[in-house]
Amino acid sequence: MRAARFPLIALFAVGGVLAASLEVTVRDERGNPVENAVAYATPKGAPAPAGPKRTAAIEQIDKTFVPHVTVVQAGTTVQFPNRDPIRHHVYSFSPAKSFEIKLYAGTPPTPVLFDKPGEVVLGCNIHDNMLAFVLVVETPYFAKTPREGIARLEQLPAGEYDVHVWHPALAAPVPARTVRLRADETAPFPAAVTLKAQPARAPAR
Amino acid sequence: MKWPRFRALRLQQRMVLLFVTLLMTVQLASFYFIRVAIEEIASQTLREELQVGARVFRRLLDQNSQQLVEATSVLTYDFGFREAIATRDRDTILSALRNHASRIRASGMAVVGLDGRVVADTMDEAQTGGAYAFPDLVVQAESQGRASGMRVVGGKPYQVIVVPIRAPLPIAWVAMSFVIDDASARDLKTLASSDVTFIEVSGGAPRVLATTLEPGPRAALERSAAAVIATSAEGSRLMLGGEDTEVLATPIERKGTGNLYSVLQRPVAAGLEPFRALQLVLVLLACLSLAVTALVANRLARRLALPLARLAKAAGEVAKGRYDVAVQANEPARDEIDELALAFRGMTKGLAERDKVRDVLGKVASAAVADELMRGTVELGGEEREATVMFTDIRNFTSLCETLRPQESLALLNDFLTVISEVVEQYRGVVDKYTGDGAMAVFGAPVAEPGDAQRAVEAALEIRRRVLALGPSLAARGLPHPEIGIGLNTARVIAGNIGSSSRLNYTVLGDGVNLASRFEGLTKRYRVPIVVGELTQRGCTGVIFRELDKVRVRGRVEPVRIFEPLQLARDATTRAGRALDTWHAALADYRERRWDRARGLFERLEHEPGYERLAEIYLGYLADVAARQPGPEWDAAFTLFEK
Ligand SMILES: [Cu+2]
Repeated sequence: MRAARFPLIALFAVGGVLAASLEVTVRDERGNPVENAVAYATPKGAPAPAGPKRTAAIEQIDKTFVPHVTVVQAGTTVQFPNRDPIRHHVYSFSPAKSFEIKLYAGTPPTPVLFDKPGEVVLGCNIHDNMLAFVLVVETPYFAKTPREGIARLEQLPAGEYDVHVWHPALAAPVPARTVRLRADETAPFPAAVTLKAQPARAPAR
Repeated sequence: MKWPRFRALRLQQRMVLLFVTLLMTVQLASFYFIRVAIEEIASQTLREELQVGARVFRRLLDQNSQQLVEATSVLTYDFGFREAIATRDRDTILSALRNHASRIRASGMAVVGLDGRVVADTMDEAQTGGAYAFPDLVVQAESQGRASGMRVVGGKPYQVIVVPIRAPLPIAWVAMSFVIDDASARDLKTLASSDVTFIEVSGGAPRVLATTLEPGPRAALERSAAAVIATSAEGSRLMLGGEDTEVLATPIERKGTGNLYSVLQRPVAAGLEPFRALQLVLVLLACLSLAVTALVANRLARRLALPLARLAKAAGEVAKGRYDVAVQANEPARDEIDELALAFRGMTKGLAERDKVRDVLGKVASAAVADELMRGTVELGGEEREATVMFTDIRNFTSLCETLRPQESLALLNDFLTVISEVVEQYRGVVDKYTGDGAMAVFGAPVAEPGDAQRAVEAALEIRRRVLALGPSLAARGLPHPEIGIGLNTARVIAGNIGSSSRLNYTVLGDGVNLASRFEGLTKRYRVPIVVGELTQRGCTGVIFRELDKVRVRGRVEPVRIFEPLQLARDATTRAGRALDTWHAALADYRERRWDRARGLFERLEHEPGYERLAEIYLGYLADVAARQPGPEWDAAFTLFEK
């Protein structure tokens, strides 16, 4: 009986009736909104449930990865559809996910599974300027800031969370902060980050 | 004979020496200044070239490092290399590094983690895990994406390149090292066209790391490196391997443990090279002008010195009394030398003549005689010619001197003789000799001249006038009136030099001379101042004569008429003329044996002034003929018996 109550609550939460929201506002040291920052909340004391979204795609358009930053829950498979008339050679030497899709056109038949949490830097072997980030997190509660710098984490069941903020150009890791969320609450979460100066990039070739 | 020649040569040599020395001084001075200027310019040029060279050299190093950076960057983008690094397997990484280093001929290659620790280093495997030696290069690479620097590792300079390994963000750093050794310095030398040396200054003495220099100059440069670096901005001069070298030090790195300098060296001689040809031309020109000057000076000096030597030689001859030396000269004179020669010639001639005159004048009294002798017209030994001889005698000089002391008498005599000499010479006669209180003079010898009788007569008249003029001053001293007796005779005489060859006397000899002396004596008898012979009287014009007598000199058959010159016709008075006519009429009557008529006239003249004595003499003659009644052989001549 007791055991049966939990899924119910979870169902409620998923249904949004009793869920909380977290509004993470990411600003840099000058107070400007920061785009492409990732905010994610890991529930405390209990493993995070698997999210509904199990696939993602990072396209290559005009020799650019789109989107530049992608957040996925561990176990997500990512497609790399090539929308360009030329081939690309996507690779990653990141410890979280090291892989390589040798020169291909179109969508490779096998998507890439990101099963370990961590930061994955993607590049293209033949286009030095192509750069993308995949942040693999172990929670379904995550969001990415648009230009306005506000990431909305929705449908969070009430409870305690460690809230993390990440950005590809963080000068230093932002320490996680714990928040307690009540049901039906939209909690503001201001986050100040310090970004590295424009990361050194090889000149375009 | 030897010394004048030597002197001339010395003058010649001295002149040549003077000209050549002068020119050489000027040329040496100009050469010196040109050389100084050239060296100044060359030095300046060299220094500037070296400074430009240093800038070029720096740029060269930059480009070199740029190329190495590019090459290294390209290498690090190699996918396989990145994969190898990503394996994090040390041995794999090390072998990949060795492989890649050898690809671009690097001396060494290292991978440095983003944490600044060495992952692997081909040059020193022991470094693994330790902090990278040149973190400043990593810092630079972080901000600029690349870094390059000159670093000393193990006593060798290296060009160290640090670039990130991107995947595609930096995952590590690659440090590539390229050694700079003597070989790479030589490569740079060909590009910089200077000798190249790399010097490290780290606390101790400067150290040469790499150089294109030979060991000798290298050591020399190492010794003076501190000074060279101290004057790095301008450059300095050094003796390197016995060669004057311009040296310029430029700092290339001031990071790390020590300071690195590149030192460029260029021999000064190389900078002077373009000026060598110019100097050579200058020297050639100088030699040429010296030679020409020496030649011209020699000729000039010869032209000057040789005539001088000849003149000096001739002067030596003249000094010995040889006046017949020949002196060459252009006539008229073309230059001062000719003028000198001509003057010398004239002087020699003058000297010769003066010598001759002195010689002759020692022997004869008169300048005219000497002249005649010098002209060679008077021969020693004499010649016969017509001349008028004059004897003068101061009347009663002895009684005149009675009241005088001897010195006074002599002075008085000299007064008279001076008057006589002056007048004789004035009328171009020659005083032949002084005869006690008188003098003998000759007109027409030794120089034959027409009108000598006339001049003699006029001289006699003048002498008498001047002697009379002495009267007042004598009277003032209480002395009697002076009177003079003059006898003149014109005759053929022997004129010549009489005596020995060491002492000659020019004089005239002959009856005519004796006769003149006699005539002088007759002045006392007739109490007239002047008695002249018939030839003398005939040789005169414009003189009024009074015939005195007809005398027969002993030993001669022909009697001679004698006359007294009274005055010049232009001075004549009519009254005196009337008495004279009477006199001559009386004389004619006497000689024509009209003795009575003659007596009448003489008696009339007996009281005429100036005729008293004559009238007395002739009245005596008349008394004599009246007593003797001479025959037809009577010629009215008076025979002189005295002397
Ligand atoms: Cu591509």
